[in-house]
Amino acid sequence: MNPAVQAIGLTKRFGSFTAVAGIDFDVPAGICFGILGPNGAGKTTTIRMISCRFPPDGGSLHVLGMDVTTQAQAIKARLGLVPQENNLDEDLTLLENLELYGRYFGLEGREARRRALEYLDFMHLSNRAKDQVKALSGGMKRRAMIARAMINQPDLIILDEPTTGLDPQSRVLLWDRLRDLKGQGVTLLLTTHYMDEAQRLCDELVIMHEGQIIDRASPQQLVERHVGRWAAEIQLTEMVTVAALKNLLPTGLRHWEQTGSILHLYADDDELLVAALQRTQHSGYQIRPANLEDVFLVRTGREIDE
Amino acid sequence: MQQAQSLPQSAARPQVRRRLHLPRFTRRSTAVWLHEFLSWRRFYKSSVLLNFGEPVLNLIALGWGLGAYISQMGEVSFLQFIGPGLLAVTAMNSVTFDICYEGFDRLHRTGLYTAMTSTSMEVEEVVGGQMLWSMTRSVLYGSIFLFVLLLFGLIESAWSFGIIVTLMLNGALFSLAGLIVVSVAKNYEHLFYYFSLIITPMFMFSGVFFPVERLPVFLQWFIQALPLYHFVEMNRALVSGQVDASILGHVAIVLAMIMVLALFPARLLRKTLQRL
Repeated sequence: MNPAVQAIGLTKRFGSFTAVAGIDFDVPAGICFGILGPNGAGKTTTIRMISCRFPPDGGSLHVLGMDVTTQAQAIKARLGLVPQENNLDEDLTLLENLELYGRYFGLEGREARRRALEYLDFMHLSNRAKDQVKALSGGMKRRAMIARAMINQPDLIILDEPTTGLDPQSRVLLWDRLRDLKGQGVTLLLTTHYMDEAQRLCDELVIMHEGQIIDRASPQQLVERHVGRWAAEIQLTEMVTVAALKNLLPTGLRHWEQTGSILHLYADDDELLVAALQRTQHSGYQIRPANLEDVFLVRTGREIDE
Repeated sequence: MQQAQSLPQSAARPQVRRRLHLPRFTRRSTAVWLHEFLSWRRFYKSSVLLNFGEPVLNLIALGWGLGAYISQMGEVSFLQFIGPGLLAVTAMNSVTFDICYEGFDRLHRTGLYTAMTSTSMEVEEVVGGQMLWSMTRSVLYGSIFLFVLLLFGLIESAWSFGIIVTLMLNGALFSLAGLIVVSVAKNYEHLFYYFSLIITPMFMFSGVFFPVERLPVFLQWFIQALPLYHFVEMNRALVSGQVDASILGHVAIVLAMIMVLALFPARLLRKTLQRL
């Protein structure tokens, strides 16, 4: 099967600023693929090139086997797009919004309505179909955006920060729906700066930093490759300083990293961490499985939101 | 490094398609029309009142008020003289303000044009759909005004039905002009430049209130370039029934203006959409 997206040397510049600096990647069909990175890393620019918003300045980019520079219209017909900003018509009803969107794809009225109702139901929005969009909550609008992106029965759905600004329940419901979509064979491509989101949803991901891809793997592989399986967080105080702790740290640690007043220790073996921390006789610590957040900390030396 | 990498591929860039980017009218364009209609339906009461109330008040104030002092304009009363002109102005304004405000919002605030062009719809089809809607609007508000003229007893000829055609042309022309303004405007202020420097002066100089033959010859030439002038002249001829071959001249000029204007909106809108 063709990859859903294939980029070779993909480049985009805005004036003298290089937003995307010659990246290579491919998104296998049928998986959920994540692009992670801090703000300004080039995630949205990459996504906009894939969704044919503007052409690349260099390199080649194929989406669903078609070239973005020559077959944009055909690609867009097979794409579902959920941009960062909701762009529903707030004055119209949810159903009107979806039906119109279906018609923009050239669907007949009856078919547009049938699909609109079906996908609103899929996104648990049936009971709000006749409500004006402006009356809906943020989570509902976000789900409506996904229902709208399904209207042309796309092969690839692109989501730019799908859950930014949503409350926890809305996020969980949305993730649940996205997993169902993937189960139906739709390829999902999403950007996020939430590590928990990437960890739950993505089969594979790339980390972008300053317009480059600095890593690619499954979430678990990334964690094991870069930080090990376990993390300990030690609350530093005036008494418990990095200098004081240093002598007590065991050999066999994968990494340590200080952010603010927290010292992070990483290891493959949790007992190693427990033993080390007991030796410090300091109670301000916790041990937990390492996650993507830690990878990010170690790889880019900063928190993802910075 | 990126430079070197991207150079060999620059040949793969899209060949500049030698197309005219003219508006297109397809099934998808009718969806744009439908969107406009659904939005309009939600606010039609205030919209009709605004677009109808102002010119009718003008007609009353100018026709009866000022008309009491200017009893005759050549062979007709002042009210008879300005009626068909105000009809053209009403249609022009109803299209212009709608396309400028709504269009600017859709482009810059609500992202609706971005949403539309994220589908398989081309910018040319969006422009086509907007034109269809503006023509509808122009005919709708113009016809209401025509009905008012009838109530005032100012309709003298069955030729008046021909005004439906002038209204369609009026909608098409001011829709294209408005979309050009929307595509290049960076903020609402730029829209006001268009209203104050082009639309309002056109209203004053297009022969709505006085025959342009009274003006110096060089100004008359200049006025030939104002689209509103031609609509005013056509409407006046149709309402009075004094139709001759000159009306075809006006139609030809207006059609030529539409053709020229049609070259720009899709081109400019696409450029702006890419930059957002």
